[in-house]
Amino acid sequence: MTTDACVRYLEDPEAHPGHLEECAKCRALIAGLDNSAPPDARAVHIDALPLAPWEGSSHRAWPIVLGGALAVLSVASGLFLLAGVSPFDGVARAVASSVPSLDAVMTLLRLVSGAVQHAPAKLQIGIGLSFIAVNGLFILLLRRAPRGIDV
Amino acid sequence: MSRLIRLLIPLTSIAACIAVALLIAPNRAIGNERVVAPRAPSPEDRYVFGQNLVIDRPVKGDVQVWFGSIDVRDVIEGDLLAVGAIRFSGRGHVTGNVIAAGGRVENEEGRVGGRLVTPGSLEGAMSMLTQTNSSRVFKLVAIAVKLSLLFCWLIAALALTMASGREVRFSSIEIRTSALHCFTLGLVALTSLILTAIVFSFLVPYLVGLPLLVFLGAFAILTKVYGMVAVFHAVGTLVAGSRTREQLARRKWLRGDLAMVAIGVLVLGVIRMIPVAGTIVWALASVLGVGVALATKFGRREPWFLAWRPAEA
Repeated sequence: MTTDACVRYLEDPEAHPGHLEECAKCRALIAGLDNSAPPDARAVHIDALPLAPWEGSSHRAWPIVLGGALAVLSVASGLFLLAGVSPFDGVARAVASSVPSLDAVMTLLRLVSGAVQHAPAKLQIGIGLSFIAVNGLFILLLRRAPRGIDV
Repeated sequence: MSRLIRLLIPLTSIAACIAVALLIAPNRAIGNERVVAPRAPSPEDRYVFGQNLVIDRPVKGDVQVWFGSIDVRDVIEGDLLAVGAIRFSGRGHVTGNVIAAGGRVENEEGRVGGRLVTPGSLEGAMSMLTQTNSSRVFKLVAIAVKLSLLFCWLIAALALTMASGREVRFSSIEIRTSALHCFTLGLVALTSLILTAIVFSFLVPYLVGLPLLVFLGAFAILTKVYGMVAVFHAVGTLVAGSRTREQLARRKWLRGDLAMVAIGVLVLGVIRMIPVAGTIVWALASVLGVGVALATKFGRREPWFLAWRPAEA
């Protein structure tokens, strides 16, 4: 049981040196402290800690990166050749077709704009209400702080 | 500030590449395809919502069918947009572009004067590359097109990781820590983008709408690209990341952000090759990516909104 004398000793051990001789509990407490070891050695064992995400992250593994890229490009070129298409032309056209043309985008914009303005009133009101509700929820979700840490 | 600059440079570079690609490789500049000039609204334009439509006499204007099918039996002198199935028969012909969103197009050979656009599909690229009806050749070209796009993803992901590795890693950690929140945020963000685009399209006739839509589109593309790179990193780390310090020390090549991103691209790319399931997985990864890009503010882990506090004396 902690007494007032124990509290006074724990608050300022040097001012009450005689308390240790009277109190077995405080004597056991102080004996449990290994004051001889430096603080860093007592607290930290690097190998016992889990691997941090940043450890080794700056390493640039060029063999894997270049090997992967070349493998993908080689297989794509080989398949184009098998299909009777020039590999360069095939890759270029595949990339170009993934970007929508301005012509198509402008047509789509014009058509959607016309459709929205000619939509029934109920649909327009529904779009307006959905816009407010969804963006309200969006703002609420954006207010949450990220959880993951990179210590 | 330096982190902001480090992130802005690669994102701006990617945006610039896309913009340049749009300018130098518009499809209408290739070959001898017909160029269809934009046209003003016509009083004969037809808009149908939630119903099926049959065109059995000529129409001098645009036709739009939202959430219904259309049977084109006569000439449409304008563009056609359908969110639903399109079927051509008889004298059916469209002189302008045909945009088919979310439905099949039947019997369209030689009946479209402009361009047939099917958003989100690779059929356009495949039909451009091969004129044959052989299903084997068509399958080969389809895989080759997907691999070519995968190669582009790999290059973009590596460039972004080299420029902003720390931010990508932050976002990757967030995916593994709060996957459900990121996915929910991604779904809500995509819905918000679509609704905002619809609202902005109200403003297209008033000039301000077009710049707003362009800005919204650029933001959506940047968010998707950054988010997908974070997903690649997370997948790569889950599949091949070191679990212990000893394992990390033993590894000569298979470590580091670049390797994790490359492995993530390859794993998701291979999954994408699987019919139907691959497309679904890629779409889910895109939603997750958009969510994590916004949840972490592109890896900067800063709040989107500042809390208001009165000034203290």
